[in-house]
Amino acid sequence: MIEFRGVHKTYANGTKALRDVNINIEKGEFVFIVGASGAGKSTFLKLIMHEEVPTAGEVIVNGYKLSKLKRREIPYLRRTMGIVFQDFRLINTMTVFDNVAFAMRVTGASKREVRKRVPYILGLVGLENKARSYPMELSGGEQQRVSLARALVNNPALIIADEPTGNIDPELSYEIMELLTEINRRGTTVLVVTHEHDLVSHFHRRVIVIEDGTVVSDVPQEQPAVPVSEPANDVVADVLDTIQSAPKGSPADAVIDDIVNGGDAQ
Amino acid sequence: MRLSSLGYLIKEGFRNIKQNAFMAVASILVLVSCLLLSGSAYLVFVNIESAFDYVYSQNVAVVFAAETADEAAVAALGEQIRALSNVSDVELISKEDTLTRYEGVIPEATFEQLQGTNNPFLDSYKVTFIDLDDAVFKSTIQSIKDMPNVDDVSYNGDIAATLAHLRSVVMLIGGVVIIVLLFVSLFIISNTIKLTVYSRRLEIGIMKSVGATKAFIRLPFMWEGMVLGFAAGLLSYGIMHLIYTRLMAMPALGFISFTSLSVTGLSTVMPVWAELLVGFLVIGVLTGMLGSGLSMGRYLKEESGVSSD
Ligand SMILES: Nc1ncnc2c1ncn2[C@@H]1O[C@H](COP(=O)(O)OP(=O)(O)O)[C@@H](O)[C@H]1O
Ligand SMILES: [Mg+2]
Repeated sequence: MIEFRGVHKTYANGTKALRDVNINIEKGEFVFIVGASGAGKSTFLKLIMHEEVPTAGEVIVNGYKLSKLKRREIPYLRRTMGIVFQDFRLINTMTVFDNVAFAMRVTGASKREVRKRVPYILGLVGLENKARSYPMELSGGEQQRVSLARALVNNPALIIADEPTGNIDPELSYEIMELLTEINRRGTTVLVVTHEHDLVSHFHRRVIVIEDGTVVSDVPQEQPAVPVSEPANDVVADVLDTIQSAPKGSPADAVIDDIVNGGDAQ
Repeated sequence: MRLSSLGYLIKEGFRNIKQNAFMAVASILVLVSCLLLSGSAYLVFVNIESAFDYVYSQNVAVVFAAETADEAAVAALGEQIRALSNVSDVELISKEDTLTRYEGVIPEATFEQLQGTNNPFLDSYKVTFIDLDDAVFKSTIQSIKDMPNVDDVSYNGDIAATLAHLRSVVMLIGGVVIIVLLFVSLFIISNTIKLTVYSRRLEIGIMKSVGATKAFIRLPFMWEGMVLGFAAGLLSYGIMHLIYTRLMAMPALGFISFTSLSVTGLSTVMPVWAELLVGFLVIGVLTGMLGSGLSMGRYLKEESGVSSD
Protein backbone atom coordinates (compact mmCIF):
# COMPACT_ATOMS: atom_id res chain seq x y z
CA MET A 1 0.00 0.00 0.00
CA ILE A 2 2.68 2.50 1.05
CA GLU A 3 6.37 1.84 0.63
CA PHE A 4 9.32 4.11 1.36
CA ARG A 5 12.65 2.88 -0.04
CA GLY A 6 15.73 4.74 1.12
CA VAL A 7 13.87 8.05 1.10
CA HIS A 8 15.70 11.28 1.81
CA LYS A 9 14.12 14.71 1.78
CA THR A 10 16.20 17.85 1.93
CA TYR A 11 14.32 21.14 1.48
CA ALA A 12 15.64 23.88 -0.77
CA ASN A 13 16.98 25.78 2.26
CA GLY A 14 19.13 22.78 3.22
CA THR A 15 16.94 21.41 6.03
CA LYS A 16 17.26 17.64 6.08
CA ALA A 17 13.68 16.69 6.98
CA LEU A 18 13.97 12.94 6.32
CA ARG A 19 17.02 10.68 6.15
CA ASP A 20 17.01 7.16 4.71
CA VAL A 21 13.45 6.23 5.60
CA ASN A 22 12.45 2.63 4.82
CA ILE A 23 8.86 1.81 5.70
CA ASN A 24 6.28 -0.64 4.48
CA ILE A 25 2.61 -0.17 5.37
CA GLU A 26 0.19 -2.86 4.27
CA LYS A 27 -3.35 -2.42 3.09
CA GLY A 28 -5.76 -2.29 6.03
CA GLU A 29 -3.20 -1.21 8.64
CA PHE A 30 -3.74 1.52 11.22
CA VAL A 31 -0.51 3.36 11.89
CA PHE A 32 0.37 6.12 14.33
CA ILE A 33 3.29 8.33 13.44
CA VAL A 34 4.71 10.13 16.43
CA GLY A 35 7.65 12.38 17.06
CA ALA A 36 8.59 15.82 18.33
CA SER A 37 7.66 18.95 16.45
CA GLY A 38 9.96 19.37 13.47
CA ALA A 39 10.90 15.68 13.40
CA GLY A 40 9.67 15.27 9.82
CA LYS A 41 6.20 13.74 10.31
CA SER A 42 4.38 16.17 8.04
CA THR A 43 7.11 15.82 5.45
CA PHE A 44 6.52 12.05 5.55
CA LEU A 45 2.82 12.61 4.78
CA LYS A 46 3.53 15.24 2.12
CA LEU A 47 5.67 12.75 0.25
CA ILE A 48 2.72 10.34 0.26
CA MET A 49 0.34 13.04 -1.05
CA HIS A 50 2.98 13.99 -3.60
CA GLU A 51 2.97 17.54 -2.38
CA GLU A 52 6.73 17.20 -2.01
CA VAL A 53 9.07 14.91 -3.92
CA PRO A 54 11.93 12.95 -2.34
CA THR A 55 15.49 14.13 -2.85
CA ALA A 56 16.50 10.47 -3.07
CA GLY A 57 14.74 7.12 -2.84
CA GLU A 58 11.36 5.91 -4.01
CA VAL A 59 7.84 6.29 -2.62
CA ILE A 60 5.12 3.91 -3.79
CA VAL A 61 1.48 4.65 -2.87
CA ASN A 62 -1.63 2.70 -3.84
CA GLY A 63 0.32 1.14 -6.68
CA TYR A 64 1.60 4.49 -8.00
CA LYS A 65 5.38 4.70 -8.21
CA LEU A 66 5.53 8.41 -7.44
CA SER A 67 8.78 9.13 -9.25
CA LYS A 68 7.13 7.87 -12.45
CA LEU A 69 3.91 9.80 -11.89
CA LYS A 70 3.05 12.37 -14.54
CA ARG A 71 1.80 15.73 -13.35
CA ARG A 72 -1.65 15.27 -14.78
CA GLU A 73 -1.94 11.96 -12.90
CA ILE A 74 -1.43 13.61 -9.52
CA PRO A 75 -5.14 14.50 -9.06
CA TYR A 76 -6.05 10.88 -9.68
CA LEU A 77 -3.54 9.68 -7.09
CA ARG A 78 -5.09 12.10 -4.59
CA ARG A 79 -8.54 10.70 -5.27
CA THR A 80 -7.38 7.39 -3.85
CA MET A 81 -6.66 9.04 -0.50
CA GLY A 82 -8.64 11.09 1.98
CA ILE A 83 -6.71 13.81 3.75
CA VAL A 84 -7.60 15.26 7.16
CA PHE A 85 -5.83 18.36 8.41
CA GLN A 86 -5.23 19.73 11.87
CA ASP A 87 -6.96 23.00 10.97
CA PHE A 88 -9.92 21.20 9.32
CA ARG A 89 -9.59 23.24 6.12
CA LEU A 90 -13.30 23.72 5.61
CA ILE A 91 -14.71 26.39 3.34
CA ASN A 92 -16.54 28.73 5.69
CA THR A 93 -18.85 30.12 3.03
CA MET A 94 -20.19 26.66 2.18
CA THR A 95 -22.61 24.58 4.21
CA VAL A 96 -21.50 21.32 5.80
CA PHE A 97 -23.29 19.49 2.99
CA ASP A 98 -21.49 21.46 0.28
CA ASN A 99 -18.12 21.11 1.97
CA VAL A 100 -18.49 17.35 1.73
CA ALA A 101 -20.20 17.35 -1.66
CA PHE A 102 -17.38 19.51 -3.00
CA ALA A 103 -14.94 16.59 -2.86
CA MET A 104 -17.33 14.49 -4.93
CA ARG A 105 -18.07 17.19 -7.48
CA VAL A 106 -14.36 17.61 -8.05
CA THR A 107 -14.27 14.04 -9.32
CA GLY A 108 -17.14 14.72 -11.71
CA ALA A 109 -19.80 12.91 -9.69
CA SER A 110 -23.38 13.45 -10.83
CA LYS A 111 -25.94 15.43 -8.83
CA ARG A 112 -27.79 12.23 -8.11
CA GLU A 113 -24.73 10.49 -6.71
CA VAL A 114 -23.92 13.52 -4.56
CA ARG A 115 -27.46 13.77 -3.17
CA LYS A 116 -27.41 10.11 -2.29
CA ARG A 117 -23.98 9.75 -0.86
CA VAL A 118 -23.34 12.91 1.14
CA PRO A 119 -26.19 12.40 3.62
CA TYR A 120 -24.98 8.85 4.29
CA ILE A 121 -21.44 9.96 4.91
CA LEU A 122 -22.70 12.74 7.19
CA GLY A 123 -24.72 10.09 9.00
CA LEU A 124 -21.58 8.02 9.32
CA VAL A 125 -19.81 10.80 11.24
CA GLY A 126 -22.95 11.69 13.19
CA LEU A 127 -23.67 15.01 11.53
CA GLU A 128 -26.87 14.27 9.61
CA ASN A 129 -28.61 17.12 11.44
CA LYS A 130 -25.93 19.67 10.64
CA ALA A 131 -26.02 19.41 6.85
CA ARG A 132 -27.38 22.96 6.48
CA SER A 133 -25.08 24.50 9.09
CA TYR A 134 -21.97 26.48 8.31
CA PRO A 135 -18.58 25.42 9.72
CA MET A 136 -18.38 28.43 12.04
CA GLU A 137 -21.58 27.32 13.76
CA LEU A 138 -19.98 24.01 14.75
CA SER A 139 -17.64 22.96 17.57
CA GLY A 140 -14.06 21.99 16.78
CA GLY A 141 -14.88 18.31 17.10
CA GLU A 142 -17.83 18.67 14.74
CA GLN A 143 -15.74 20.58 12.24
CA GLN A 144 -13.16 17.84 12.27
CA ARG A 145 -15.91 15.29 11.65
CA VAL A 146 -17.00 17.30 8.60
CA SER A 147 -13.43 17.22 7.40
CA LEU A 148 -13.36 13.48 8.00
CA ALA A 149 -16.61 13.09 6.08
CA ARG A 150 -15.06 14.97 3.19
CA ALA A 151 -12.02 12.69 3.28
CA LEU A 152 -14.27 9.63 3.26
CA VAL A 153 -16.82 10.63 0.68
CA ASN A 154 -14.90 9.32 -2.34
CA ASN A 155 -14.35 5.96 -0.62
CA PRO A 156 -10.54 6.24 -0.53
CA ALA A 157 -8.30 3.26 0.10
CA LEU A 158 -6.18 5.39 2.41
CA ILE A 159 -6.88 8.04 5.03
CA ILE A 160 -4.08 10.41 6.00
CA ALA A 161 -4.58 12.57 9.07
CA ASP A 162 -1.98 15.14 10.17
CA GLU A 163 -2.61 15.84 13.85
CA PRO A 164 -6.37 15.58 13.41
CA THR A 165 -6.97 16.14 17.12
CA GLY A 166 -4.48 18.96 17.53
CA ASN A 167 -7.12 21.69 17.50
CA ILE A 168 -9.94 20.05 19.45
CA ASP A 169 -10.73 19.23 23.05
CA PRO A 170 -9.04 16.09 24.38
CA GLU A 171 -12.35 14.31 25.14
CA LEU A 172 -13.43 14.87 21.56
CA SER A 173 -10.11 13.51 20.31
CA TYR A 174 -11.22 10.02 21.31
CA GLU A 175 -14.40 10.46 19.32
CA ILE A 176 -12.40 11.25 16.17
CA MET A 177 -9.97 8.39 16.83
CA GLU A 178 -12.83 5.97 17.29
CA LEU A 179 -14.30 7.04 13.98
CA LEU A 180 -10.93 6.48 12.34
CA THR A 181 -10.71 3.08 14.02
CA GLU A 182 -14.11 2.15 12.67
CA ILE A 183 -13.19 3.31 9.19
CA ASN A 184 -10.07 1.18 9.44
CA ARG A 185 -12.06 -1.80 10.66
CA ARG A 186 -13.89 -1.74 7.37
CA GLY A 187 -10.70 -2.03 5.37
CA THR A 188 -9.39 1.48 4.86
CA THR A 189 -5.71 2.01 5.61
CA VAL A 190 -5.32 4.80 8.17
CA LEU A 191 -2.24 6.91 8.89
CA VAL A 192 -2.44 9.27 11.85
CA VAL A 193 0.23 11.74 12.88
CA THR A 194 -0.13 12.78 16.49
CA HIS A 195 1.86 13.67 19.54
CA GLU A 196 -0.86 12.87 22.01
CA HIS A 197 0.69 9.92 23.80
CA ASP A 198 -2.52 9.12 25.65
CA LEU A 199 -4.25 8.41 22.36
CA VAL A 200 -1.41 6.31 21.05
CA SER A 201 -1.23 4.15 24.15
CA HIS A 202 -5.01 3.85 24.37
CA PHE A 203 -5.48 2.45 20.88
CA HIS A 204 -2.71 -0.16 20.73
CA ARG A 205 -1.79 0.20 17.09
CA ARG A 206 1.42 0.11 15.09
CA VAL A 207 3.55 3.10 16.10
CA ILE A 208 6.31 4.59 13.97
CA VAL A 209 8.52 7.04 15.84
CA ILE A 210 10.40 9.66 13.84
CA GLU A 211 13.19 11.65 15.43
CA ASP A 212 15.18 14.26 13.59
CA GLY A 213 14.18 12.84 10.20
CA THR A 214 15.00 9.24 11.01
CA VAL A 215 12.68 6.36 11.91
CA VAL A 216 13.99 5.38 15.35
CA SER A 217 11.34 2.83 16.24
CA ASP A 218 8.59 0.93 14.49
CA VAL A 219 6.49 -1.07 16.95
CA PRO A 220 3.87 -3.36 15.43
CA GLN A 221 0.31 -3.50 16.72
CA GLU A 222 0.28 -5.02 20.19
CA GLN A 223 -2.88 -7.04 19.78
CA PRO A 224 -5.47 -7.82 17.15
CA ALA A 225 -7.80 -4.96 16.35
CA VAL A 226 -10.67 -4.96 18.80
CA PRO A 227 -14.05 -3.49 18.02
CA VAL A 228 -14.53 -0.29 19.92
CA SER A 229 -15.99 -1.23 23.24
CA GLU A 230 -16.59 2.09 24.92
CA PRO A 231 -17.89 4.72 22.57
CA ALA A 232 -16.95 8.16 23.81
CA ASN A 233 -20.47 9.51 23.58
CA ASP A 234 -23.96 8.84 22.29
CA VAL A 235 -23.31 10.12 18.80
CA VAL A 236 -20.46 7.73 18.26
CA ALA A 237 -22.44 4.91 19.83
CA ASP A 238 -25.29 5.56 17.40
CA VAL A 239 -22.96 5.65 14.45
CA LEU A 240 -21.26 2.48 15.51
CA ASP A 241 -24.60 0.79 15.90
CA THR A 242 -25.42 1.66 12.32
CA ILE A 243 -22.08 0.43 11.13
CA GLN A 244 -22.16 -2.77 13.10
CA SER A 245 -25.54 -3.71 11.73
CA ALA A 246 -23.98 -3.98 8.28
CA PRO A 247 -23.68 -7.51 6.90
CA LYS A 248 -20.69 -9.23 8.47
CA GLY A 249 -18.05 -10.93 6.43
CA SER A 250 -18.46 -8.85 3.27
CA PRO A 251 -15.34 -7.09 1.97
CA ALA A 252 -14.72 -3.76 3.61
CA ASP A 253 -15.34 -1.69 0.49
CA ALA A 254 -18.60 -3.47 -0.11
CA VAL A 255 -19.68 -2.75 3.45
CA ILE A 256 -18.89 0.92 3.18
CA ASP A 257 -20.69 1.11 -0.13
CA ASP A 258 -23.58 -0.61 1.46
CA ILE A 259 -23.75 1.84 4.31
CA VAL A 260 -23.10 4.83 2.17
CA ASN A 261 -25.52 3.97 -0.61
CA GLY A 262 -28.31 3.05 1.73
CA GLY A 263 -28.07 -0.66 1.27
CA ASP A 264 -28.73 -0.87 -2.47
CA ALA A 265 -25.20 -1.58 -3.65
CA GLN A 266 -24.84 -4.43 -6.14
CA MET B 1 -16.23 17.13 -18.92
CA ARG B 2 -19.71 16.22 -17.86
CA LEU B 3 -22.56 18.66 -18.37
CA SER B 4 -23.45 18.50 -14.68
CA SER B 5 -19.85 19.42 -13.84
CA LEU B 6 -19.99 22.38 -16.20
CA GLY B 7 -23.21 23.57 -14.61
CA TYR B 8 -21.61 23.20 -11.21
CA LEU B 9 -18.50 25.12 -12.27
CA ILE B 10 -20.58 27.98 -13.65
CA LYS B 11 -22.54 28.12 -10.41
CA GLU B 12 -19.25 28.12 -8.51
CA GLY B 13 -18.04 31.04 -10.61
CA PHE B 14 -21.12 33.07 -9.70
CA ARG B 15 -20.79 32.08 -6.05
CA ASN B 16 -17.18 33.29 -6.13
CA ILE B 17 -18.27 36.65 -7.51
CA LYS B 18 -20.86 37.04 -4.76
CA GLN B 19 -18.44 35.86 -2.11
CA ASN B 20 -15.79 38.30 -3.27
CA ALA B 21 -18.05 41.20 -4.17
CA PHE B 22 -15.39 43.74 -3.27
CA MET B 23 -12.80 42.19 -5.57
CA ALA B 24 -15.39 41.80 -8.29
CA VAL B 25 -16.26 45.50 -8.10
CA ALA B 26 -12.57 46.44 -8.04
CA SER B 27 -11.86 44.32 -11.11
CA ILE B 28 -14.80 45.78 -12.98
CA LEU B 29 -13.79 49.35 -12.13
CA VAL B 30 -10.21 48.78 -13.24
CA LEU B 31 -11.35 47.24 -16.48
CA VAL B 32 -13.93 49.99 -17.05
CA SER B 33 -11.29 52.71 -16.61
CA CYS B 34 -8.97 51.03 -19.05
CA LEU B 35 -11.72 50.42 -21.56
CA LEU B 36 -12.89 54.03 -21.27
CA LEU B 37 -9.38 55.31 -21.88
CA SER B 38 -8.89 53.01 -24.86
CA GLY B 39 -12.37 53.82 -26.09
CA SER B 40 -11.76 57.57 -25.85
CA ALA B 41 -8.52 57.18 -27.72
CA TYR B 42 -10.41 55.21 -30.32
CA LEU B 43 -13.21 57.78 -30.64
CA VAL B 44 -10.76 60.65 -30.93
CA PHE B 45 -8.97 58.64 -33.58
CA VAL B 46 -12.20 57.91 -35.46
CA ASN B 47 -13.16 61.58 -35.31
CA ILE B 48 -9.86 62.72 -36.70
CA GLU B 49 -10.08 60.03 -39.35
CA SER B 50 -13.51 61.13 -40.44
CA ALA B 51 -12.37 64.74 -40.46
CA PHE B 52 -9.61 63.66 -42.80
CA ASP B 53 -12.05 61.76 -44.93
CA TYR B 54 -14.09 64.91 -45.27
CA VAL B 55 -11.14 67.05 -46.22
CA TYR B 56 -9.91 64.35 -48.57
CA SER B 57 -13.22 64.23 -50.33
CA GLN B 58 -12.96 67.97 -50.89
CA ASN B 59 -9.48 67.68 -52.21
CA VAL B 60 -9.91 67.44 -55.94
CA ALA B 61 -7.90 68.34 -58.93
CA VAL B 62 -9.56 69.95 -61.94
CA VAL B 63 -8.38 68.73 -65.31
CA PHE B 64 -9.06 71.09 -68.19
CA ALA B 65 -9.50 69.61 -71.66
CA ALA B 66 -7.70 71.28 -74.56
CA GLU B 67 -9.77 73.84 -76.47
CA THR B 68 -9.29 71.83 -79.67
CA ALA B 69 -10.75 68.61 -78.25
CA ASP B 70 -14.13 67.62 -79.66
CA GLU B 71 -16.85 65.93 -77.67
CA ALA B 72 -15.56 62.41 -78.37
CA ALA B 73 -12.00 63.34 -77.37
CA VAL B 74 -13.23 64.84 -74.11
CA ALA B 75 -15.20 61.68 -73.33
CA ALA B 76 -12.11 59.57 -74.13
CA LEU B 77 -10.03 61.70 -71.74
CA GLY B 78 -12.57 61.10 -69.00
CA GLU B 79 -12.33 57.34 -69.47
CA GLN B 80 -8.56 57.51 -69.45
CA ILE B 81 -8.48 59.39 -66.14
CA ARG B 82 -11.05 57.07 -64.60
CA ALA B 83 -8.83 54.11 -65.52
CA LEU B 84 -6.00 55.36 -63.25
CA SER B 85 -5.71 53.25 -60.13
CA ASN B 86 -5.34 56.20 -57.74
CA VAL B 87 -8.50 57.93 -58.97
CA SER B 88 -11.66 57.31 -57.05
CA ASP B 89 -14.07 59.58 -58.86
CA VAL B 90 -14.28 61.54 -62.08
CA GLU B 91 -17.00 64.08 -62.75
CA LEU B 92 -17.46 65.90 -66.03
CA ILE B 93 -18.11 69.61 -65.84
CA SER B 94 -18.79 70.71 -69.38
CA LYS B 95 -18.15 74.27 -70.46
CA GLU B 96 -21.92 74.70 -70.71
CA ASP B 97 -22.24 73.68 -67.06
CA THR B 98 -19.59 76.21 -66.12
CA LEU B 99 -21.30 78.91 -68.08
CA THR B 100 -24.65 78.12 -66.47
CA ARG B 101 -23.14 78.97 -63.09
CA TYR B 102 -22.81 82.54 -64.27
CA GLU B 103 -26.43 82.87 -65.24
CA GLY B 104 -27.80 85.84 -63.36
CA VAL B 105 -24.32 86.86 -62.29
CA ILE B 106 -23.31 88.46 -65.51
CA PRO B 107 -25.64 90.70 -67.55
CA GLU B 108 -28.36 88.80 -69.36
CA ALA B 109 -27.26 90.05 -72.77
CA THR B 110 -23.64 89.02 -72.26
CA PHE B 111 -24.79 85.62 -71.02
CA GLU B 112 -26.82 85.11 -74.20
CA GLN B 113 -23.86 86.18 -76.31
CA LEU B 114 -21.58 83.61 -74.74
CA GLN B 115 -23.78 80.64 -75.65
CA GLY B 116 -22.65 78.03 -78.16
CA THR B 117 -19.34 78.43 -79.94
CA ASN B 118 -18.64 81.67 -78.09
CA ASN B 119 -18.37 79.87 -74.77
CA PRO B 120 -15.06 81.04 -73.27
CA PHE B 121 -14.72 78.12 -70.86
CA LEU B 122 -13.05 74.74 -71.26
CA ASP B 123 -14.59 71.35 -70.65
CA SER B 124 -13.17 70.01 -67.37
CA TYR B 125 -13.13 67.02 -65.06
CA LYS B 126 -13.33 67.12 -61.28
CA VAL B 127 -11.07 64.28 -60.15
CA THR B 128 -11.02 62.79 -56.62
CA PHE B 129 -8.05 60.71 -55.48
CA ILE B 130 -7.62 57.69 -53.26
CA ASP B 131 -4.08 58.20 -52.00
CA LEU B 132 -2.81 61.71 -51.34
CA ASP B 133 0.64 60.61 -50.29
CA ASP B 134 3.04 63.09 -51.89
CA ALA B 135 4.90 60.83 -54.33
CA VAL B 136 1.84 58.87 -55.40
CA PHE B 137 -0.29 61.98 -55.78
CA LYS B 138 2.33 63.81 -57.85
CA SER B 139 2.87 60.86 -60.18
CA THR B 140 -0.89 60.59 -60.72
CA ILE B 141 -1.06 64.29 -61.57
CA GLN B 142 1.89 63.87 -63.91
CA SER B 143 0.31 60.98 -65.77
CA ILE B 144 -2.85 63.04 -66.25
CA LYS B 145 -0.79 65.96 -67.56
CA ASP B 146 0.86 63.59 -70.05
CA MET B 147 -2.47 62.55 -71.53
CA PRO B 148 -3.45 63.92 -74.95
CA ASN B 149 -5.99 66.73 -75.05
CA VAL B 150 -5.10 68.00 -71.58
CA ASP B 151 -4.78 71.74 -71.36
CA ASP B 152 -3.87 72.04 -67.69
CA VAL B 153 -4.36 70.44 -64.27
CA SER B 154 -5.22 72.62 -61.31
CA TYR B 155 -4.55 71.18 -57.82
CA ASN B 156 -3.13 71.97 -54.42
CA GLY B 157 -0.21 69.63 -53.92
CA ASP B 158 1.00 70.94 -50.56
CA ILE B 159 -2.30 70.48 -48.75
CA ALA B 160 -2.54 66.97 -50.08
CA ALA B 161 0.93 66.07 -48.83
CA THR B 162 0.43 67.62 -45.40
CA LEU B 163 -2.89 65.84 -44.93
CA ALA B 164 -1.45 62.49 -45.90
CA HIS B 165 1.43 62.95 -43.48
CA LEU B 166 -0.81 64.06 -40.59
CA ARG B 167 -3.07 61.11 -41.14
CA SER B 168 -0.29 58.58 -40.84
CA VAL B 169 1.02 60.29 -37.67
CA VAL B 170 -2.45 60.21 -36.10
CA MET B 171 -2.87 56.58 -37.05
CA LEU B 172 0.44 55.67 -35.46
CA ILE B 173 -0.16 57.58 -32.22
CA GLY B 174 -3.72 56.29 -31.92
CA GLY B 175 -2.61 52.72 -32.48
CA VAL B 176 0.21 52.93 -29.97
CA VAL B 177 -2.00 54.55 -27.31
CA ILE B 178 -4.67 51.88 -27.68
CA ILE B 179 -2.20 49.00 -27.57
CA VAL B 180 -0.40 50.42 -24.52
CA LEU B 181 -3.71 50.91 -22.72
CA LEU B 182 -4.76 47.35 -23.46
CA PHE B 183 -1.51 45.99 -22.05
CA VAL B 184 -1.93 48.16 -18.97
CA SER B 185 -5.44 46.79 -18.44
CA LEU B 186 -4.29 43.21 -18.90
CA PHE B 187 -1.58 43.82 -16.32
CA ILE B 188 -3.88 45.47 -13.79
CA ILE B 189 -6.60 42.89 -14.29
CA SER B 190 -4.22 40.00 -13.85
CA ASN B 191 -2.94 41.57 -10.64
CA THR B 192 -6.42 42.19 -9.31
CA ILE B 193 -7.30 38.59 -10.03
CA LYS B 194 -4.04 37.42 -8.48
CA LEU B 195 -5.31 39.04 -5.30
CA THR B 196 -8.61 37.19 -5.48
CA VAL B 197 -6.77 33.97 -6.21
CA TYR B 198 -4.47 34.65 -3.28
CA SER B 199 -7.42 35.24 -0.99
CA ARG B 200 -8.81 31.91 -2.10
CA ARG B 201 -5.66 29.81 -1.93
CA LEU B 202 -7.15 27.81 0.94
CA GLU B 203 -10.03 26.81 -1.29
CA ILE B 204 -7.65 25.96 -4.12
CA GLY B 205 -5.51 23.88 -1.74
CA ILE B 206 -8.59 21.96 -0.61
CA MET B 207 -9.57 21.37 -4.21
CA LYS B 208 -6.12 19.98 -4.93
CA SER B 209 -6.17 17.78 -1.84
CA VAL B 210 -9.38 16.12 -2.96
CA GLY B 211 -7.99 15.50 -6.43
CA ALA B 212 -9.30 18.35 -8.55
CA THR B 213 -7.63 18.68 -11.94
CA LYS B 214 -6.07 21.96 -13.06
CA ALA B 215 -8.87 22.61 -15.50
CA PHE B 216 -11.51 22.04 -12.85
CA ILE B 217 -9.85 24.52 -10.50
CA ARG B 218 -9.25 27.07 -13.20
CA LEU B 219 -12.64 27.02 -14.90
CA PRO B 220 -14.70 28.82 -12.24
CA PHE B 221 -12.06 31.54 -12.10
CA MET B 222 -12.02 31.95 -15.87
CA TRP B 223 -15.79 31.98 -16.00
CA GLU B 224 -15.77 34.58 -13.26
CA GLY B 225 -13.27 36.64 -15.26
CA MET B 226 -15.47 36.38 -18.35
CA VAL B 227 -18.58 37.51 -16.47
CA LEU B 228 -16.75 40.44 -14.91
CA GLY B 229 -15.22 41.34 -18.28
CA PHE B 230 -18.61 41.26 -19.96
CA ALA B 231 -20.11 43.46 -17.26
CA ALA B 232 -17.20 45.89 -17.56
CA GLY B 233 -17.63 45.99 -21.34
CA LEU B 234 -21.33 46.83 -21.11
CA LEU B 235 -20.77 49.41 -18.41
CA SER B 236 -17.96 51.08 -20.35
CA TYR B 237 -20.11 51.26 -23.44
CA GLY B 238 -22.95 52.90 -21.52
CA ILE B 239 -20.67 55.44 -19.88
CA MET B 240 -18.85 56.18 -23.13
CA HIS B 241 -22.08 56.74 -25.03
CA LEU B 242 -23.47 58.98 -22.31
CA ILE B 243 -20.33 61.12 -22.09
CA TYR B 244 -19.94 61.40 -25.85
CA THR B 245 -23.51 62.44 -26.55
CA ARG B 246 -23.40 64.95 -23.67
CA LEU B 247 -20.18 66.43 -25.02
CA MET B 248 -21.52 66.70 -28.54
CA ALA B 249 -24.62 68.45 -27.26
CA MET B 250 -22.50 71.25 -25.78
CA PRO B 251 -22.64 74.30 -28.08
CA ALA B 252 -18.98 75.10 -27.45
CA LEU B 253 -18.05 71.77 -28.94
CA GLY B 254 -20.31 72.09 -31.94
CA PHE B 255 -17.36 72.52 -34.25
CA ILE B 256 -16.17 69.01 -33.40
CA SER B 257 -19.37 67.43 -34.49
CA PHE B 258 -19.20 69.51 -37.66
CA THR B 259 -15.92 68.09 -38.79
CA SER B 260 -16.44 64.69 -37.32
CA LEU B 261 -19.03 62.00 -37.07
CA SER B 262 -22.00 64.09 -38.06
CA VAL B 263 -20.36 65.10 -41.31
CA THR B 264 -20.10 61.61 -42.64
CA GLY B 265 -23.64 60.97 -41.56
CA LEU B 266 -25.46 58.22 -39.73
CA SER B 267 -24.07 55.49 -41.92
CA THR B 268 -20.68 55.94 -40.27
CA VAL B 269 -21.88 56.82 -36.80
CA MET B 270 -23.78 53.59 -36.29
CA PRO B 271 -20.95 51.19 -37.17
CA VAL B 272 -18.55 53.14 -34.94
CA TRP B 273 -20.75 52.60 -31.89
CA ALA B 274 -21.44 49.00 -32.82
CA GLU B 275 -17.71 48.51 -33.27
CA LEU B 276 -17.08 50.06 -29.88
CA LEU B 277 -19.67 47.84 -28.18
CA VAL B 278 -18.37 44.66 -29.76
CA GLY B 279 -14.79 45.76 -29.07
CA PHE B 280 -15.50 46.50 -25.41
CA LEU B 281 -17.28 43.19 -24.90
CA VAL B 282 -14.67 41.13 -26.70
CA ILE B 283 -11.75 42.87 -25.00
CA GLY B 284 -13.50 42.75 -21.61
CA VAL B 285 -14.30 39.06 -21.84
CA LEU B 286 -10.87 38.12 -23.18
CA THR B 287 -8.98 40.22 -20.64
CA GLY B 288 -11.08 38.82 -17.81
CA MET B 289 -10.66 35.26 -18.97
CA LEU B 290 -6.95 35.44 -19.77
CA GLY B 291 -6.24 37.62 -16.75
CA SER B 292 -7.67 35.05 -14.39
CA GLY B 293 -6.49 32.00 -16.29
CA LEU B 294 -2.91 33.23 -16.48
CA SER B 295 -2.62 34.75 -13.04
CA MET B 296 -3.37 31.50 -11.25
CA GLY B 297 0.08 30.21 -12.17
CA ARG B 298 1.81 28.96 -9.08
CA TYR B 299 -1.33 28.24 -7.11
CA LEU B 300 -2.23 25.67 -9.71
CA LYS B 301 1.00 23.70 -9.58
CA GLU B 302 -0.08 20.18 -8.67
CA GLU B 303 2.71 19.60 -6.17
CA SER B 304 2.32 22.67 -4.02
CA GLY B 305 -0.10 24.25 -1.64
CA VAL B 306 -2.12 21.19 -0.68
CA SER B 307 -1.62 21.18 3.05
CA SER B 308 -0.16 24.64 3.51
CA ASP B 309 -0.50 28.04 1.90
N1 LIG C 1 8.78 23.86 2.92
C1 LIG C 1 9.82 23.74 3.78
N2 LIG C 1 10.98 24.37 3.51
C2 LIG C 1 12.03 24.27 4.35
N3 LIG C 1 12.01 23.57 5.48
C3 LIG C 1 10.88 22.93 5.80
C4 LIG C 1 9.74 22.97 4.97
N4 LIG C 1 8.76 22.24 5.55
C5 LIG C 1 9.29 21.75 6.68
N5 LIG C 1 10.57 22.15 6.85
C6 LIG C 1 11.47 21.79 7.92
O1 LIG C 1 11.64 20.40 7.89
C7 LIG C 1 11.66 19.86 9.19
C8 LIG C 1 10.55 18.84 9.35
O2 LIG C 1 9.31 19.51 9.27
P1 LIG C 1 7.92 18.77 9.38
O3 LIG C 1 7.94 17.60 8.46
O4 LIG C 1 6.86 19.77 9.20
O5 LIG C 1 7.95 18.27 10.89
P2 LIG C 1 6.78 17.83 11.86
O6 LIG C 1 5.52 17.68 11.07
O7 LIG C 1 7.25 16.56 12.45
O8 LIG C 1 6.64 18.90 12.89
C9 LIG C 1 11.52 21.04 10.13
O9 LIG C 1 12.83 21.42 10.53
C10 LIG C 1 10.90 22.09 9.27
O10 LIG C 1 11.31 23.37 9.71
MG1 LIG D 1 3.68 18.67 11.24
